[in-house]
Amino acid sequence: MIETTAKTGRKDVGTLIIASLFIGLGLITLYDVTTYSDSDSVVFPSFVAYALIFCSVLVIIYSWLKPNPHNGFGSGDWWRRFLLVASMLAACLAMPLSGFLPATAIAFAGGLIAARHEGWDGRSAIIFALSGVFIMAGFYSLFRFALGVPLP
Amino acid sequence: MGFEHLANALTLTNLALALFGVVAGTVIGSIPGLSATMAVAVLVPITFSMAPASALILLGAIYTGAIYGGAYSAILLNTPGTPSAIGTTFDGYPMAKRGDGDLAVAIACYASVFGGMIGALALLLLAPPLSSVALAFGPVEYLWLSIFGLSLIASLSTGNVLKGLAGGALGMLLSCVGVAEISADIRLTFGVSTMIGGIEVVGALIGLYCIPVLIDLVATPERHLKVEQGVRAVRFREAALIAWRSRLNLLRSSVIGTVIGILPGAGGSVAGLVAYSEAKRTARPDQKFGDGEPDGIMATESANNATVGGGFIPTLVLGIPGTPPDAVILGALLVQGVRTGPTLFDGGGSIVYTFIFGLFIATILMLPTGLLIGRYAYKTIVTIPKTILVPAVGFMTIIGTFAIRNSISDVIIMIVLGSVGWVLSRFGFAASPIVLGLILGPIAEQGFVQAWIIGDATGNLTGMFFGRPISLAIIAFTILSLVYPIIQGRRAKRILATQANSND
Repeated sequence: MIETTAKTGRKDVGTLIIASLFIGLGLITLYDVTTYSDSDSVVFPSFVAYALIFCSVLVIIYSWLKPNPHNGFGSGDWWRRFLLVASMLAACLAMPLSGFLPATAIAFAGGLIAARHEGWDGRSAIIFALSGVFIMAGFYSLFRFALGVPLP
Repeated sequence: MGFEHLANALTLTNLALALFGVVAGTVIGSIPGLSATMAVAVLVPITFSMAPASALILLGAIYTGAIYGGAYSAILLNTPGTPSAIGTTFDGYPMAKRGDGDLAVAIACYASVFGGMIGALALLLLAPPLSSVALAFGPVEYLWLSIFGLSLIASLSTGNVLKGLAGGALGMLLSCVGVAEISADIRLTFGVSTMIGGIEVVGALIGLYCIPVLIDLVATPERHLKVEQGVRAVRFREAALIAWRSRLNLLRSSVIGTVIGILPGAGGSVAGLVAYSEAKRTARPDQKFGDGEPDGIMATESANNATVGGGFIPTLVLGIPGTPPDAVILGALLVQGVRTGPTLFDGGGSIVYTFIFGLFIATILMLPTGLLIGRYAYKTIVTIPKTILVPAVGFMTIIGTFAIRNSISDVIIMIVLGSVGWVLSRFGFAASPIVLGLILGPIAEQGFVQAWIIGDATGNLTGMFFGRPISLAIIAFTILSLVYPIIQGRRAKRILATQANSND
């Protein structure tokens, strides 16, 4: 009971930060539109920026008065989440240097490690590595040769 | 139109082409990043040596199959295979998570076939008169249509409308990034050259819908989809029963899809979302849209497949492509020397009517092939270990996003947007309003600026924005869609209060 009350009384800090960032984004947009040469380019982003600021202010007021205790990142391993995203971004950065397949192998390996909760042994490592090679080669062939996508 | 056209469509060659087109389209459409436009564009060259009617049948079959194929990944991976399937994720993925993915796939198949048939029927019977609708839409009508679309944010925001509106505004702001369409000013790039190309909608879709699912999947050891005990066949009878019970929803959504398909530039994504919103607006109190409601899948899937037939109406009658894949098909027809226009239905009637019957056949063929492919797609996704599913889907998001514009920047934007989308979703900012803003932003801006320029030049700005009958009708619909849920909510409360009083 005490825990529930505490949870309900907690401020929804995440929402407040996000809405504040939205306001910042709106203000940056309003600054950016002053550099445009044509007035036709200014009207729509300005209007949208004002709308974003207005809605975000309302979100802040509403969240301050009625915070939602269910908002939050929840449980789960952060290192797995980071590994997944970081390996995908690393693949993008490596792509111009190493080519498509070696670069995406980084993302695939990162995803494989991040998603495996059951632990590793030699057999499973070989099976999953081979499956990865098969999947990547299959899709690479489809896109590169059948669909003619110029993959680096 | 006569029996000979049907007979021409039923030749062994045309049947084989329709079957190949549907299967190829379904498979390509189910891969995130490969849209219906891409499916048609990739396979256009093989039609150059064919007879025009056969080429049209193949392209139409690929198109209709690809639109349906988008439902698989929408239901099983929460990633719309094509933008048309955005609305399918809202209820399809929750159904799959609770173990009803096979039912959802079967429902999507029935709805797609029904919508495709209605669209093709409109093309067959009403093409010339309906094409005038496309001509009646000027810039200001597109502006109001996009505002009507944006009013759907109210119904797409699960939980918090204010956050939905903020998300919609964010999406519209993201749509402004890059070179402005009318004046060519470079906007909101802050000197970063990779942003000049703007944010690609399909890449953004993949990021906002797929990356958050992957981030959630890796974080915990739980299974990705609930698996029911015992092997089940395709639940086609159960799905057929559900579809029959919602026949009114199917019909309404198909008509919406056909009409929106006629409007050049609107496309299946807008049609699906409008139909979804209408289905939600007219729902019974016990229906919970967003939590795995079959009517949500039926509305989206019937509407987006109805845009196939609807989109062909202005393409064939006026030479104005209704949807992006229609533009590719129009190009293929021009290569073949077929001149589109009203005379196509008179002088070249044999080609166009053979094609329309071919489209019917392709749509019917989608039923067995769709159910069969759907069964294996579901079983594969359910049984594949999460360890391999996550990196495989991650790999597909990278290669699919890269393939759209051959751009690494698009892939980086997709990953960053997806990660930001995950954080936003954790605090109640849903992805759908952002996507809606991203899709409708350019339509709204173009309509607004063009209407402003015309109104200013003619000295009648008020008349331009508020004096045209179609605009007024759309404004009325917009107000209705915003006000009706409030009235409905109050009525439901009053009924509940009355019931409570009578019980006392």
